[in-house]
Amino acid sequence: MRRWGRRLRQMAGGVLDLPQDVVLEVPRITMIGHLQMYIENHRGVLQFSENELRLLLTNGQLLVFGEQLVIRAILPEEVLLEGRIGGVKFLENP
Amino acid sequence: MRNGLQEWVKGYVTVTVRGKRFERFLNMAVRAGMRIWNIRRVGTEVCRCDIVIAEFPRLRPLLKETGCRVHVVERHGFPFWLVRLRRRAGLAVGAVLFLFGLYMLSSFVWSVEVTGTRNMSPQEVIAAAEQIGIKEGAWKPKLKEPLVLRKELQKLLPEAEWVGVTIQGTRVILQVVEKDKPAKPPVTGPRNLVAKKRAVIHTILPEAGQSRVAVNQLVEKGQVLISGIIGNEQRQQIVSAKGSVKGEVWYVSNVSVPLANTHFRLTGEKQYQHHLLIGPYAVQIWPLNRQEFAQYESEEKRYVPEYAGYKSPIGWKRVIQSEVVPTKRELTVEEATEQAKRFARADVLRLAGKDAVIREEKVLHATTENGKVYVSIHFSVIEEIAVEEPILGVSQPPANGGGGNS
Repeated sequence: MRRWGRRLRQMAGGVLDLPQDVVLEVPRITMIGHLQMYIENHRGVLQFSENELRLLLTNGQLLVFGEQLVIRAILPEEVLLEGRIGGVKFLENP
Repeated sequence: MRNGLQEWVKGYVTVTVRGKRFERFLNMAVRAGMRIWNIRRVGTEVCRCDIVIAEFPRLRPLLKETGCRVHVVERHGFPFWLVRLRRRAGLAVGAVLFLFGLYMLSSFVWSVEVTGTRNMSPQEVIAAAEQIGIKEGAWKPKLKEPLVLRKELQKLLPEAEWVGVTIQGTRVILQVVEKDKPAKPPVTGPRNLVAKKRAVIHTILPEAGQSRVAVNQLVEKGQVLISGIIGNEQRQQIVSAKGSVKGEVWYVSNVSVPLANTHFRLTGEKQYQHHLLIGPYAVQIWPLNRQEFAQYESEEKRYVPEYAGYKSPIGWKRVIQSEVVPTKRELTVEEATEQAKRFARADVLRLAGKDAVIREEKVLHATTENGKVYVSIHFSVIEEIAVEEPILGVSQPPANGGGGNS
């Protein structure tokens, strides 16, 4: 059933030309250089330290590496991260 | 996402949260709709974040659940600022006193200005204004309405046609418009009125002095018309003669008018040329290829920016060339004679003065020769012939301003 729902959504996205992040429950990430990062559609903070932010997604995890990371603002589905961002990594649930 | 001003007004605190399960605490707080920002990790089990003070008590159950401890580090915003201000009451009192003092000082009149006086002295106006309370150091709320002040000041200053009272902050401006007095006639010395031309007297109206001529009498140039010496042999007085004497003067005017003449007519074709002026040079910019007119009239206009006597070296020049064509016109002898008469009349009136009237005109003879009409006209003109001539060798009569007895 779940697979069917997902395929239907994917098809709808293709036909109606909707942005992927609206159709699929994946994060939308906006970065301003390596200084700022704006993440939408997250599901909660798993781990946060100066060098790493681990966010829970619908279908996996998002890892952000960097230095002097600060969460400037946080809302239930949005995070504004600042600092020197070094890398982003997706971990998908098997 | 954040509203810095709102946070400042509501007040916020920077807290450190100590605990192993900080992330869980954060997620719960965010899901509960709390506003948390500037989150950073300070130590392995210590985090720091900012939170609005109104939401601070709501953290309590969350802290209990996650086993974290919170400690307030810094306080920011308006509520804390007020608390600090209460501690430093002197500063607040000073600020209020300052504003009060400024307000009080601005409610006094600090200067009185007078504008528009020409013959009256400003001191006179200031003295009058002082009587109705407008002076330096007067308290503005005690002054009456400017319109009432205006009327009162007007009563005190009869020489002024109009007085305006304007209160501009701490300055009072008194604007005075003075009455225009009639100009005094210039004082004239003893004099005769004499004829300036050979003429026949038409009318004579002496105002001061004794008339020496009668109507219809022929007078020569320089003859005394109204004498400034009045009285008989025993009692004599010298006055400044005044009056009007009109005489009939004869003129003969010879005029010639050509029968054929050319004049130029505008065709309506125009060409605008624009030039850029650089120093003494003019560079033509528009049009690129100019149209040549066989004959034209040109009108030039220069635009050179100027400021305080300094002229800009760069300017703009516009030339308008209007094409003209010559046209020939032939006059008949009658038309030419009429025109000659018109010219002659204008010529005679110019010679005779502005209030002259042509009484009679006679064409003496008219001939046509070499394509021109020659006309000779005789005019009889009534004009003012009196002219002043001072009586020399007599001392100034005492205080005789041109009036006197006639």
